[in-house]
Amino acid sequence: MNRIKGIREKIPDQVKRLLIPVVLVIAAFVVMRHFLVPSDFGKYGHYRASAIDDVISLEIKYSGHMVCDDCHDDIVEVKKMSYHRDVACEACHGPAAAHTEDPDGNKLQAPRERGYCPLCHEYLPSRPTGFPQIVSESHNPRKACISCHDAHDPKTPEAPKECKACHAEIARTKALSHHIYVSCIRCHETPEEHKVRPRDYRPEKPIRRELCGECHAKNAPAAKAIPRVDMATHGERYVCWQCHYPHLPEVD
Amino acid sequence: MEKLAEHLWPILKQITGYIYPNEIELYWGMLIVIYPYITGLVAGAFILASLVKVFNVKELQPTYRLSLLTSLAFLIVAPLPLLAHLGHPERSLEIFLTPNKSSAMAMFGFVYAWYLMAVLLLEIWFDYRKDLIMWADKEKGLRRLIKRIITLFSTDTSERAVKFDKKAVKIITIIGIPSAFLLHGYVGFIFGSIKANPWWSSVLMPIVFLFSAIVSGIALVLLIYMVVTLVRRQELVMASLDKLANYLFFTMIVAFSLEALDFIHRLYESEESITILSQLISGKLFVSLVVIQFLLGMILPLGALAAVKLFRVPAELRRHVYFVSALLVQVGIFTTRWNVVIGGQLFSKSFRGLTAYKMTLGGMEGLLASLAFLILPFVILYILVKILPPWEKNRTP
Ligand code: HEC
Ligand code: HEC
Ligand code: HEC
Ligand code: HEC
Ligand code: HEC
Ligand code: HEC
Ligand code: HEC
Ligand code: HEC
Repeated sequence: MNRIKGIREKIPDQVKRLLIPVVLVIAAFVVMRHFLVPSDFGKYGHYRASAIDDVISLEIKYSGHMVCDDCHDDIVEVKKMSYHRDVACEACHGPAAAHTEDPDGNKLQAPRERGYCPLCHEYLPSRPTGFPQIVSESHNPRKACISCHDAHDPKTPEAPKECKACHAEIARTKALSHHIYVSCIRCHETPEEHKVRPRDYRPEKPIRRELCGECHAKNAPAAKAIPRVDMATHGERYVCWQCHYPHLPEVD
Repeated sequence: MEKLAEHLWPILKQITGYIYPNEIELYWGMLIVIYPYITGLVAGAFILASLVKVFNVKELQPTYRLSLLTSLAFLIVAPLPLLAHLGHPERSLEIFLTPNKSSAMAMFGFVYAWYLMAVLLLEIWFDYRKDLIMWADKEKGLRRLIKRIITLFSTDTSERAVKFDKKAVKIITIIGIPSAFLLHGYVGFIFGSIKANPWWSSVLMPIVFLFSAIVSGIALVLLIYMVVTLVRRQELVMASLDKLANYLFFTMIVAFSLEALDFIHRLYESEESITILSQLISGKLFVSLVVIQFLLGMILPLGALAAVKLFRVPAELRRHVYFVSALLVQVGIFTTRWNVVIGGQLFSKSFRGLTAYKMTLGGMEGLLASLAFLILPFVILYILVKILPPWEKNRTP
């Protein structure tokens, strides 16, 4: 008892006083943790476990595309083989859970208007090469897309004549480059079918540097204005497109 | 929609090359520039104060308490730009209540709280305790009560107690220096650890931040000291000024070397981002980085301070040189933060294009709000100085 009292007396007065706010802060922290942190916090991870129940109890709006098969097998069958095979029914028709429960009471809408399809198909440089894109302002304006393309089996009514229809970014880049007058098929031998089923019939991609040499070698039988390089010494161990982007060849 | 387009249109016109759609608009604006700037001042001012205590630098004694109060005033404001930027300030409590160890930003809350409560407040309290007791005795009413509350009603001014105060201050200072390093190194860490951004991602970032923080802190104390002394119609202690300018000069050399090292390192590594970064430096950041940060904020004050050291310059002129240099340094460090925060968002992660930053006038992220956040610390400092006069003559023997 006396020892404790001795120690207590040794502690300077101001420290004892300081302990009051320190204890208050700690107490406030403990009390707040007790009342403000939900009791099931951290059970599974850094969140409130019952948040999962909250999410589960939300109304289900989407049903997925499997259920559609029960009643619309004809459409499912068509779509399965089409270009839109990876596009979910509900991406176009909206949430359908209610419809699958009661088809007559809850009718779905179909996006028949022209503004809808460009959400995915409008030309954007950040879309991957080869993704079918159009510039809707100039692509058959003022007519509904579905008057020419079946939404469940979209095909181009006729094969596009130009590579530009699908490779807009490359075409635009090339159109600003020194290679503007070198046509795509000069470098890519392209089967006609590629324009109809592009993934099944692939064009060739250049593999030999001699292709470039056909115009750029010192002795190439091409226009005089074309800049020439010594094929033997210029970038000899690499293919040309490791240094020059072929669709926008630059020299720096 | 229309409003959004109206907002984006002027930016869209300034975009060059190719950028991703979500990079058009900058998410971190002026407020996030102010945040590291202010935390830097906190750490810098504190480290200056610590030099006085740890190395017993007599000349700087007149600025010791002023540095501490400056540090406190800015520390109180430091998190406000963040809270304003995020919105929902009431939710900031959550990061304390449910600490997330894997979030650098959340841990910052603890570093901040530690620094505020365990270091700054404590050091100030011990340093002022005796004086406060004495002052309270001479005053009446509310003023007396405030001072008594601050001292937690302690009245012990015995030699033993005062000696303990002194020792406590010293210990806290020693803990405080690494804490201040942590506080601002942390801010650098948050930027430096963003792997995806080549302008930020650098291990040197925390150290570069730290030294620029010390530079800005010293320059700030120098400025405040000069202005305040002038306003109070007192004589400037030239020895203190010279010492401050000396420190400023040497820390600037370190800061400059670190930045140069970082720069050369990047140039030498020449990663694939170098092309876009050099476009950034020679284009959109040219004025703020090369002209303001480098030439006006670094080379010019360094040269001026060096010239003053080399040639025997009369005190009058020296004062002017110090003042202008410190002011330039302040502007320089602010643009340093600007160049880091804004610069890091101006280029596309595709490395193929640049966007632009458009500051608004009003609104939480606007110029006016930012100015308010920059002025607020001075208001707080004014109040602090009223309650806790940092002048030497008020010190009770
Ligand atoms: C239980 C059977 C059933 C299921 C499951 C079902 N439907 Fe239907 N759906 C119907 C019936 C019946 C109609 C015709 C209602 C009418 O014309 O009044 C219909 C009509 C439609 C229509 C046409 C609306 C119009 O404007 O003509 C669309 C679109 C549609 N369903 C989409 C879907 C999608 C997508 C799914 C899958 C998520 C789905 N349905 C699942 C029975 C079903
Ligand atoms: C790319 C968007 C898109 C997708 C994906 C899509 N639809 Fe449609 N659907 C439409 C459009 C547009 C119409 C309207 C066609 C018309 O009026 O000619 C339509 C019409 C319908 C209709 C009613 C008219 C009809 O042809 O009988 C049904 C039923 C239907 N869709 C079911 C489905 C189901 C089931 C799926 C998924 C397997 C699906 N749709 C996927 C766009 C889509
Ligand atoms: C949710 C996005 C999405 C929407 C909405 C959408 N599509 Fe598609 N579309 C695709 C995808 C994905 C492909 C397949 C691309 C591929 O094969 O690489 C495609 C392919 C196509 C093709 C190309 C066929 C070919 O010959 O290459 C056409 C035409 C087409 N869609 C028309 C439409 C029309 C018309 C609509 C509006 C009813 C529409 N799309 C709505 C995603 C979408
Ligand atoms: C008048 C009929 C017509 C209309 C209307 C029409 N298209 Fe086309 N579409 C075509 C034809 C023909 C082609 C192929 C030739 C070309 O344009 O190069 C094509 C090509 C496409 C392609 C490129 C296919 C590919 O494989 O890359 C897409 C995508 C496309 N259309 C989407 C749309 C969308 C979306 C709309 C509505 C905004 C629309 N079309 C309206 C006739 C039409
Ligand atoms: C109907 C749309 C369409 C048209 C028209 C089209 N392409 Fe393609 N092209 C594609 C698609 C889709 C791909 C596949 C992209 C992918 O898988 O990444 C592709 C791929 C390619 C490739 C790369 C092949 C590979 O193995 O990586 C080349 C080269 C190419 N196209 C050249 C052309 C040329 C040249 C033309 C014009 C003569 C042309 N394409 C016309 C859609 C088209
Ligand atoms: C001067 C020759 C040349 C011309 C002209 C040319 N290409 Fe290429 N293209 C190449 C080479 C070389 C590659 C790269 C092959 C590789 O990387 O393996 C390539 C790659 C591609 C690819 C696949 C890689 C990628 O960039 O996505 C596509 C698609 C393609 N070209 C389309 C086109 C289209 C469309 C045109 C016409 C607008 C065109 N090319 C014109 C030489 C050419
Ligand atoms: C059909 C002939 C032809 C082929 C094949 C060809 N080029 Fe060219 N190339 C040209 C022409 C024409 C020019 C532009 C000359 C001018 O600007 O007057 C050119 C210009 C260039 C330039 C110079 C750009 C500049 O800035 O001056 C480079 C580099 C280049 N091509 C690289 C290539 C590469 C790499 C290939 C192989 C993938 C290739 N070329 C294949 C015709 C060709
Ligand atoms: C290792 C990188 C590299 C490779 C591989 C390479 N080049 Fe070049 N090329 C350059 C550089 C760098 C320049 C600009 C400096 C120069 O003129 O040497 C250039 C310049 C050129 C020029 C412009 C010359 C002029 O007089 O304006 C042409 C044409 C060219 N290259 C074509 C080719 C062709 C064709 C190939 C493939 C046989 C090729 N390059 C391979 C790097 C390369």
